[in-house]
Amino acid sequence: MSHEGNDILDADQLHTYYGKSHILHGVSLRVGAGEIVTLLGRNGAGKTTTLRSLMGLTPPRQGRIRLFGQDVTGWPPHRIAKLGVGYVPEGRKIFGHLTVHDNLRVPAATTGRWTLDTVYDLFPRLAERRTSKGGQLSGGEQEMLAIARALLLNPRFLILDEPSQGLAPVIVDEVMKTVVAMRDEGIAVLLVEQNAWLALRDADRAYVLGDGEVVHEGSAAELAADEERVKALAGASLDTSASAAAS
Amino acid sequence: MELLLFNIFNGLIIGIFYALMALGLSLILGLNGIINFSHGGFLALGGYIAYSLSPVIGFWGALIVSPFIVGLLGLVVERILIRPLYSRDPLFSLLLTFGLAMIMEDLIRTFWGANGLPFNVPAALSHPLSQTYFFVTGYRVFLVVLALLAIGSLFALLRYTRIGVRIRAGNADLETVSALGINIYRLRAINFGVGILFAGLAGVLAAGRLGLTPTMGASLIMPSFVAIIVGGVGSLLGSLLGGIIIGVAAGIVTTYYPAASDVVIYVIMAVVLVVRPRGLLGQEGLLE
Repeated sequence: MSHEGNDILDADQLHTYYGKSHILHGVSLRVGAGEIVTLLGRNGAGKTTTLRSLMGLTPPRQGRIRLFGQDVTGWPPHRIAKLGVGYVPEGRKIFGHLTVHDNLRVPAATTGRWTLDTVYDLFPRLAERRTSKGGQLSGGEQEMLAIARALLLNPRFLILDEPSQGLAPVIVDEVMKTVVAMRDEGIAVLLVEQNAWLALRDADRAYVLGDGEVVHEGSAAELAADEERVKALAGASLDTSASAAAS
Repeated sequence: MELLLFNIFNGLIIGIFYALMALGLSLILGLNGIINFSHGGFLALGGYIAYSLSPVIGFWGALIVSPFIVGLLGLVVERILIRPLYSRDPLFSLLLTFGLAMIMEDLIRTFWGANGLPFNVPAALSHPLSQTYFFVTGYRVFLVVLALLAIGSLFALLRYTRIGVRIRAGNADLETVSALGINIYRLRAINFGVGILFAGLAGVLAAGRLGLTPTMGASLIMPSFVAIIVGGVGSLLGSLLGGIIIGVAAGIVTTYYPAASDVVIYVIMAVVLVVRPRGLLGQEGLLE
């Protein structure tokens, strides 16, 4: 699948460090319009670091990032977000001491389809719990809140870091339905997942990271058919997902 | 009995000054992550600037204008000196604000002289309101009411406005706030400016009550840190409560054993730290 010219994201040869440790060794990624692209890999492969690099939270020391055709290399996170990137961080990062409603008042004001009213319509559960503290919500409700918060930026591109983490399967299905619905509305999605089967079910294309490098890229259907390979990825997540939180 | 009431009332007023200081310090510690030792310097500047302005624009004008001038000065200091230090070791900002405090104190000596200056409040405010309770002057009541109004506005700002919500969110997780499209450099600048504005306001009010000396800020800053610790680091309501508690406690002790009035606040702090290390309203897990 080629999306030359209308790329949402084009990241080229990213090298990212935490202090002196070299985490990403030249990661290149593309996300085209209307795609769900998933980024898979074992714990510690550099998935979260890749997303943090794209958001400007841990800026890469080398490489270029283009978003919506614009070079955003070196931009601070708030400018990248305001360009139209909704970020749902790992562990959701809800403001636990703020009410649901106040959590939704944090994002920068933008114009577009998503407002406080429309995100409450999308997630009626959040409307019911609007005066509850973020920290009192269930994992599923927190995930919805994190997605709602990102939607308020009226993004053209949604980045999700392990939305299924710690959620019951039925809730995970609901979250994935929302993600697919967003894609169908024209929002491109980059989805990091430990749960490879889940991600490949809904994604259009997939990248596999290993030790800070892209070790595979291709269509999601093709990768899903390669059962051995997915098992290796899924197995890695089953072994480690219980004990390790960070990837 | 009247002596006790007199000292409690005086303690309340001192406590209000501590609280105004502690609130600004807490705001700045929370979002900017800076322990601002220069806070007392800004307080003194607030008083001195009001002193110089009041012959021109009167007491009321100076009361309003001086805190804003000091707040603007705070913005300049934040932009030029503090901002480059956010990602550095906290020791850098500690040393910077400590040095800044000394520079500000000496600048005040240079411009206004080393001796104390009187700061006159309008005659309408200086009369006692009651014959029996001679110490309840209009100015003291006015001071308490104005400070409480300012503190109430601050709490309303933090609770109800978007910028306040973002400051509270940023206290917990500034990175996520920035990923939601908020310019955290501007947010921190505004927060610093508001904190310094409160120091400036405390300075004008304190000038009318205690007079002006170059060290007036330095002598209020230590008890203000104590107020934060007693009230609980991370809680603005705690800082308010802590300031008033230690002020009133010092007032009460003055009545019975004046020599111990300076020590009592540290005794209270020690007791609080032993019994409840997080402070009266501090968040669980922050210091324990």
